[in-house]
Amino acid sequence: MEIGKLSLHTTKTVQNNQQAKKINTNKFSTNPFGVSFKGNVIQADVFESSNKSTNVIAQKSKMFASAVVSGINNFNEAFKSRINAIVSFGKKVTKDAFDTMERIGNTEIKIDMEGIKNKMFPDRQYSVKQLSNKSVDELKGMWEDLTPEVEAA
Amino acid sequence: MMNNKEKIKQIIRTLGEHKDSESAINLLTELGTNSPDDEIRELTAQTLIKKNTHDSLKVVLISKGKGINDLSARVAMASINELLALKDKNEAVKILDDTVKMHSDEEVRNTARSVRALMTFSS
Repeated sequence: MEIGKLSLHTTKTVQNNQQAKKINTNKFSTNPFGVSFKGNVIQADVFESSNKSTNVIAQKSKMFASAVVSGINNFNEAFKSRINAIVSFGKKVTKDAFDTMERIGNTEIKIDMEGIKNKMFPDRQYSVKQLSNKSVDELKGMWEDLTPEVEAA
Repeated sequence: MMNNKEKIKQIIRTLGEHKDSESAINLLTELGTNSPDDEIRELTAQTLIKKNTHDSLKVVLISKGKGINDLSARVAMASINELLALKDKNEAVKILDDTVKMHSDEEVRNTARSVRALMTFSS
């Protein structure tokens, strides 16, 4: 009786496991094994042959080779997409560089040398040559600004 | 480093050569001849005389306390020297003659007479 119960239990467990496998198999329409290799669906020939026992090793090697080929194909695609990204980035950089050069070429650079000199040499703006460019009203304003200190002295 | 007095002197020198002569003379008369500083008044008087126009000479010849009538001997002497250095003294002589004849202030008339005499002897 005990042996009979145990065998019944074992049979049920095996049946449950088989059902679970079936459920897992249904997840993949193209890959009934439900086996993945580094995220890639294995593209092996999954139809079982009649001489199952003798062809197990060959089938496994087939699966492995298929996985490798699939991996290589995916690698090529990834490589191409990265290369394309790099090429487009290079093109963009080149275009930006050309645009910048064009902008620099069209930009008029003005350096106020007089202003720089006046800042470096403050007395320079009081040379007759510099002052003669000013109107009398401007000169009057400058004179009036300087007068209080002269009067105090 | 230039101090403020030197800067004002540069402005005065610029006004002496300025294209807008009339405005320059007005500014020199307004600020320069009324400056409390002897050096500024001296340079202003010399600049006005160098211009050698009726308006510029009138200020330093007939105005009391300015130019040849300045209370500072230094300013008065510098003005007289500048007058004597003029190549064309006609306008200055004419103004001095009118001042001697017609000016209301005796001190101004006397100064004008003395300077007129100096100019006669120096020419």
